[in-house]
Amino acid sequence: MSVPGWVLNKPFLITISVGVPWFAAVLVTGYRRHARAVGCIAAFASIVGSAVLLAVAPKSDSLYQALMLLFSSLTFGATLLLPRRDCTTGTIVGILFLLASTLLAYSTGNLLVLLAAWILSTVPFLWAGWFRASAWRPLVGLLLSTLALALAVGLILISTGVTAINNLKGQSPGGVAAFALLVIAVVFRKGICPAHAWVADAAETGPPLPTALLLNGHFGALLVAKLIVPLFPRTDNLLPVLSYLAILTALYVAIRALGENSPRRLLAFLALSQSACILSGLESQTAEGIAGAIVHWFVVAICTVALFGILRLLEVRFGENLTASKHLGLAEHAPRLAVSFVIFGLALVGLPGTLGFCSQDLLIHGALTSHRLIGLLLPIATAMNAVSFFRLFTRLFLGKRRTGFTVMADALPRERWILAAGVLFVVFGGLFPNAIVIQRSSEVDLVQATHIAANVNAVGKGDAQPGKITARR
Amino acid sequence: MSLSQAILVFVVLAPGALFAVFALLWLLGWTPGERFLSWITGLTFTACAFGIAALVWTITSGSTITVTFGNWFAVGDYHFPLVLTADRLSLPFLALAVVLSGLIGQFSATYLHREPGFLRFFLLLYLFAFGSLLAFAAGSFDLLAAGWEVVGITSVLLIGFFQLRPAPVENGLRVFGIYRACDIGLFVAVFSMHHWAGTASFDQGFPLLTATRAMIVSLLLLLAAAGKAAQIPFSGWLPRAMEGPTPSSAIFYGAISIHAGAYLLLRAQPLLARSILASALVVLIGLATAIHGTIVGRASADAKTSLSYATLTQVGVVFIEIGLGWKWLAVAHILGNATVRTMQFLRAPSMLHDYHQMHSAIGGEVSPTGKQIEELLPERVQLWLYRWAFDRGHLDTILDRCVIDPLLRASTYFARSDRAGLAWTIRPGNQAPVSFHDPAKQGND
Repeated sequence: MSVPGWVLNKPFLITISVGVPWFAAVLVTGYRRHARAVGCIAAFASIVGSAVLLAVAPKSDSLYQALMLLFSSLTFGATLLLPRRDCTTGTIVGILFLLASTLLAYSTGNLLVLLAAWILSTVPFLWAGWFRASAWRPLVGLLLSTLALALAVGLILISTGVTAINNLKGQSPGGVAAFALLVIAVVFRKGICPAHAWVADAAETGPPLPTALLLNGHFGALLVAKLIVPLFPRTDNLLPVLSYLAILTALYVAIRALGENSPRRLLAFLALSQSACILSGLESQTAEGIAGAIVHWFVVAICTVALFGILRLLEVRFGENLTASKHLGLAEHAPRLAVSFVIFGLALVGLPGTLGFCSQDLLIHGALTSHRLIGLLLPIATAMNAVSFFRLFTRLFLGKRRTGFTVMADALPRERWILAAGVLFVVFGGLFPNAIVIQRSSEVDLVQATHIAANVNAVGKGDAQPGKITARR
Repeated sequence: MSLSQAILVFVVLAPGALFAVFALLWLLGWTPGERFLSWITGLTFTACAFGIAALVWTITSGSTITVTFGNWFAVGDYHFPLVLTADRLSLPFLALAVVLSGLIGQFSATYLHREPGFLRFFLLLYLFAFGSLLAFAAGSFDLLAAGWEVVGITSVLLIGFFQLRPAPVENGLRVFGIYRACDIGLFVAVFSMHHWAGTASFDQGFPLLTATRAMIVSLLLLLAAAGKAAQIPFSGWLPRAMEGPTPSSAIFYGAISIHAGAYLLLRAQPLLARSILASALVVLIGLATAIHGTIVGRASADAKTSLSYATLTQVGVVFIEIGLGWKWLAVAHILGNATVRTMQFLRAPSMLHDYHQMHSAIGGEVSPTGKQIEELLPERVQLWLYRWAFDRGHLDTILDRCVIDPLLRASTYFARSDRAGLAWTIRPGNQAPVSFHDPAKQGND
């Protein structure tokens, strides 16, 4: 049976992936019933759309389609994992809004659309009573990052008048000022030091699962891969600064996590520290570093959403005053949640047999190749994160059994299935990582080719260092 | 694939397959009975032992068995080779791991009868056996590191086996921290070999490195080996690890895990031989640990701790042998020490019973032992030495003051600077970082 040509049409598939969640968000706002079901169906439609997009995309240009599939799947999982207490109309609408905005940012090749998607993705987190955290720093962080991006886009438009990203490659549009503004946008959005504090505040005082989804959109890394690397070859010697900042963030936040007792903040620090590694990998300009960064993007996204989801389930069942300052013994009540928690956590910090081991291995090789001394901080940060995670696990789940709970539910069937799917992905990914790494290595070539093409383009204008990337490869 | 290669693959993968199958079945809601678990464990490890016997037969004819599966993953010029190899060095360790794991499995079936964590113990035993076999049969340092990590995490989970008590859990965390810190040495060493020699495989000969680079790699490997083998200054974790069930203490800290560090150095012998500094450091660390172990062991009040320090003393001597280049003496020493210590650990819970039996048999008390060598020292020195030994050489205190406390202070300082102007967002009770290295300070409530 043949498939009609329009079904495989890229704009149509993007419209399905992006449009259905927005339509569903509007529907849920009006209908206000069966919110979880509608959310799941919309996220599933996005999964199908993204999967077909990925299937029809050329192998060398499928990074963003793969990321769309990842984020749709994450949203689907988060919608299922959401405790009934949190599953309100507003939450589902916000999650769908975030899904659509994020997919739009991934799929677009236009500067203005990217800016619009960036702004839209922050809207639920700026609105009081929606996903806005009660602390002020998340609001300021998101606003400043948006402002910096808007100014950078404005500068680029004023200097070139071009909105298509492909036409701007290698031209350093807007000069160092635009580059600096883009870096500021990345720093604030990604929570790179010194702008890291808002991430923990958002996790602590905001809704955990939507916040985890916001963080795992990884808009900062997207900006690096989509704009900074391809557009600014002249700033090749400034780019490592971002990498240094990312590695220092990984270490700083890892040390910060060692003494933290609030589970939400601790998880936020772990997520931040591990995701900062993605930036250093993308910047490393080595095949291992870039491949490691892309695979790590997947690992961090899946593991942190799952960990925040499990933590929220524990809060709902055992009270919101969970703390890592004493043993709570929850494994006796929720053994499957405990097992899932430890697997996701150890995958996040690179346990062998999980996909995290492969990504960490590649990342550390990439970071050490490109920055020998600074790169050494990465395995140190990862080791500290492992200790912090294990401390959190032991404090939450091990120790004397608590009494006095009226409800002692382990993972419910819908939660169990979605957690099992995540565990299978990280474990089978770890056992057979080549299946994933090979898929992503074509994208590594793409990112490297982008570096080289941009550099060659700049050489034509007489303002780049063509030898550098070749030497690094 | 020849028969020998197939046998090697079977021996390494069989415990891993048991772990995967039973873990999956548990997740699906089925818990196997104790008798079935004991039977399948015995059967698997017996089959593995026969497999090892066949491999010994093949290797005595002078050949090395190598199985290449290609790359686990590969990107650009970097690849992670999946190569298993059984040679004259790895085979004794493989045999040790298989035989002792099987014996411990059989012993534990009775020892842990009706223990709530019976299945958990066996799952971790399978995973440990798989990790150690993978490390010993690895044809590259990359794969060795993967097996090494699996051994580490199972070790930690078994220390915290009695999860309802806070002390084992906290001690497990402590051991985990030391393992992870020392494993940085292994990872950076592997990276350095890839970077300088283009490979970390040793199945086709050792990576070629200059003398300086060989020294750097050797020192990094020494860090990893010292952590795993509880050598000075990391010896403090060993008595803490005794919180686990006795069978796991026997196989981990009497036999396999504690000697894994020595195996790593034996594997890296060609590199060590090129660096006098690294070799000297190995000897020095081994000597210091041996002295430390024998003194502290004399002041240990409980049987398992005393035995663990006896093991440590011997591992220190093994390090000296490795540093001096006496490779095969070290292998023989390891095999003997591991076997005897396992037996002693397994008998430790029955020690009083054994004494009573002995007393009944001889019709009275056993005569006291002879003079101790430390009695030759002046009384003041004896007292000082006793205090030093009682606090286990102050190693934990030194580690706390030099590493853990500064890190926690830095964490507290960072927390304060992060919180500036934000006190209202912090929940009461979550402000002050709590020390995570002193179980005595940790209330369970």
